[in-house]
Amino acid sequence: MAEQKPVKKVGCGCIGCAIPLATFIILLVVIVPASIFGIISGAFGKKLIAAPTVELPSSAIFHIGLFPVTNTIIASWITVVILVLIALLVTRKAKLIPGRLQSLVESVIEWMYNFCRDVAGPENGRKFFPFVTTIFLFVLINALMNLIPGFGSLTWHTAEGVVPLLRGANTDINTSLAIAILAFLFIEFWGFKNHKFGYLKKFFNFNRGLKGWGQIFTGKFLPGLGNIGMGAIDTFVGFLEFFSEIIRIVSFTFRLFGNMTGGEILILILFFLLGFAGFGAIQLGYAFEMLVGVVQALIFSGLTLVFATMAAETHEEEHAEKAK
Amino acid sequence: MDAFTWRLLAAGLCMGLGAIGPGIGVGLVGLGALNALGRNPEAKGSIMTYMILAIAMAEAVAIYALVVAILLIFVTTK
Repeated sequence: MAEQKPVKKVGCGCIGCAIPLATFIILLVVIVPASIFGIISGAFGKKLIAAPTVELPSSAIFHIGLFPVTNTIIASWITVVILVLIALLVTRKAKLIPGRLQSLVESVIEWMYNFCRDVAGPENGRKFFPFVTTIFLFVLINALMNLIPGFGSLTWHTAEGVVPLLRGANTDINTSLAIAILAFLFIEFWGFKNHKFGYLKKFFNFNRGLKGWGQIFTGKFLPGLGNIGMGAIDTFVGFLEFFSEIIRIVSFTFRLFGNMTGGEILILILFFLLGFAGFGAIQLGYAFEMLVGVVQALIFSGLTLVFATMAAETHEEEHAEKAK
Repeated sequence: MDAFTWRLLAAGLCMGLGAIGPGIGVGLVGLGALNALGRNPEAKGSIMTYMILAIAMAEAVAIYALVVAILLIFVTTK
């Protein structure tokens, strides 16, 4: 009978896995010399293939009038096309019992929606959800496109030499800066919308200081001095808050840019320095890069969400939160 | 030593010293997250989400140091 056929395990006892001995010896004979050859020929290989140069500014492929269209812009166009295609495919014939692509997209969108509602509360979450999810999907697909094999290898001849035709859009500091400025405008928009112009009171807090001066002139000397002191502290704290809002643009930009560029340099160094000897290290580096891409997308959108929630919080909600 | 050697030395020092603080910081975040998880294993989803957010904020400082090091090595002013 079929179940009674004994399972014959030929194990090579040294590593304890069930590979037949002949296969193991063949693998050993192939991999070890290839690794040694890879380490040695790293030095000779530089004559065959030029070591990759890291260029931080992206190179222009062509110009529209005076505006240089760089390789990162072309890559981000491809990202937009991919996202729009997926959206069209999923929503054209949306079924009540979804097929595979539709359930994948639905699960991502639902996860993001629950995240927005958890952080921002029910009504604010619904209002912040479109922009935050746009940032998340854009940064995520940019980061994953950068890891597609052959992505940076197509070249184009321009006036400055041979440049890659496509380059990961997140590795350009202009992309990060653009998304950071948009996130800043989004946060300030919601601050102004919920507080009207009282939002500026968070930063320019002169009330207590002016009240103190008024108290000195009407005779209450000691409370006046106290209020002037506290007013000075309030003003200083207000300016600090204003400054930190502006610095948030810089920190958003460099977080995304630094992670993506650092990851790309890491992959390049692993490939060109180790060759075949880095058989496990390269896979580890690649997987780490995919993880970093997802995490950075989550961080960017999550931080935008958190700061917008803090900016949009009205005083009643703040007291309700503290009373909880 | 010529200028490029000094820049290499500066880049190495920048990244090395700049990674001490964030390394300790990320470890502290992990400590807090694991303590919270031990007390309340049911809140695993939100603990993990906030842990990843806090790790990225701490990591950003190390990334600033990396950016300065990359600028030191690869960007030349003429």
